[in-house]
Amino acid sequence: MLKLLRMEYLVNRKQMLIILAIFSGYFAFMAYRIGSPRVFLVTMSLMIGLALPFGIIGREDRFKTASLVCSLPLRRTTIVLAKYVAGWIAMGFGLAYALLLAAWLPFSRFSVTEILTLKSILISLFLLSLLFGFIFPFTIRFGLMGIIIFLVSSQLLGVVALILAQLLGRSPNPLRTVMTSIEKGLRAMLHHEATPDFLMLVAAAIMAMNAVSFFLSRTLYARRDL
Amino acid sequence: MEYALEVQNLRKEYPGFTLNDISFALPRGYIMGLIGPNGAGKTTIIKLILNIVRRNSGEVRICGFNSLAEEAEAKARVGFVLDEPPFYGYLKALGMASVIAPFYKNWDRDLFHRLCREFDLPPRKRVSAFSRGMAMKLALAMALSHGAELILMDEPTSGLDPVFRRELLERLSSLLQDGRTSVLFSTHITSDLERVADYITCVRDGELVFSTTRDEVLESWAIVKGGAEILTGVTRDLFKAIIRGPYGFTALTADKEETRRRLAGRGAVIERLKLDDLIFFLGQKNKGTTGGRT
Repeated sequence: MLKLLRMEYLVNRKQMLIILAIFSGYFAFMAYRIGSPRVFLVTMSLMIGLALPFGIIGREDRFKTASLVCSLPLRRTTIVLAKYVAGWIAMGFGLAYALLLAAWLPFSRFSVTEILTLKSILISLFLLSLLFGFIFPFTIRFGLMGIIIFLVSSQLLGVVALILAQLLGRSPNPLRTVMTSIEKGLRAMLHHEATPDFLMLVAAAIMAMNAVSFFLSRTLYARRDL
Repeated sequence: MEYALEVQNLRKEYPGFTLNDISFALPRGYIMGLIGPNGAGKTTIIKLILNIVRRNSGEVRICGFNSLAEEAEAKARVGFVLDEPPFYGYLKALGMASVIAPFYKNWDRDLFHRLCREFDLPPRKRVSAFSRGMAMKLALAMALSHGAELILMDEPTSGLDPVFRRELLERLSSLLQDGRTSVLFSTHITSDLERVADYITCVRDGELVFSTTRDEVLESWAIVKGGAEILTGVTRDLFKAIIRGPYGFTALTADKEETRRRLAGRGAVIERLKLDDLIFFLGQKNKGTTGGRT
């Protein structure tokens, strides 16, 4: 596994440095423009969750090297685990970097106590887990096409939601109900007091999401023909 | 006998194609050629051995290790050259080696460097800028640099110039001198097989046609030519494939002696088989242009 992580580092380091350079500018701009730490947390998590890990997961697809990796003396479970861990290392590093940047930049609109709290870190990890845990199995099974399928499906779902909203008028629209529920849930989470129970619950949710996502990915990758 | 590779009842189903019940064994210290027309399933067999493609059923043992239950142990003994060598194009040859090397206990850095020099691989050029032949050479250098006991190669000589092709075949032959290294390679270039292969496994339409020694193939199989009047219901059963022409037929038989005996005195000519003929006939059958039987 350590050998695979070393390999991930060797083949991804340049790409990661480029992303880091772009993120530095982007997060500095966000810290300067966005006044709400909650909005910053959500936007930053989305950016990190989408940009950092999928370079690592999608690389085998881009260079068609999955057959090389799977021909090495390794089990597929180890390959999936290494990719999962590498994705989290990249996201963890990105998260720490973004939070530190936002906390200490002289022109940032957030204070250290506002942005570097256990709650903000856990909520960021929760959002990253949600995104990563949901898209990772797609990508590990269907490669970059998986991400494209996911994004296109989301777009189509949005279009269907808009059409339904037009057609149904004031009557209950199931898609809108789902979206509103997600929004309400997120809002409630962001505004919830940082009690020990709440923090434990978020931490448990993070672990559960990652466990499910990993085991699903492992099962899917075991069946993949390259 | 000790085997480097044992394949038993291997089966893989794809929509529109099934690799069915493939069994063969390669003893240690020998070269086996895997032949068959395009789409016969050669690449699938190699991918199944490497677990790049998941089998529906069957078993593969590499140097005695089960390739699924003992995957890491089995693959540590395999060097591979795939049809389209999968490399990170933005790395250089030495960079690729440094990525792969830690996975093999017996990686010989000096040997890899020496092979790169012998193969004229440019150290400062990105792999993406390599020609197909150069990429094949790099894959080969990597496969040979960790003391593999079984080398699997999918069309390794395609894209190589004749000089290097001959060098490669000589190198493969010399690998066997230690008595523990074995090679399985698929190819369309049958002259390569005639030069170095000890065993030949032939597949067509996902089915095993035969797996035996090269000498036995060349002794038992033959090309038969004769007039159309010879082709009766009884004689047709002698042939694996038949091509009819305006003045007679040309056919492939797997039993030269039996054919000679049964067609004696009927004007048929029995010629020595070349492996090229074998692939040609099996390929023709594949296209459905003959009235042959299997």
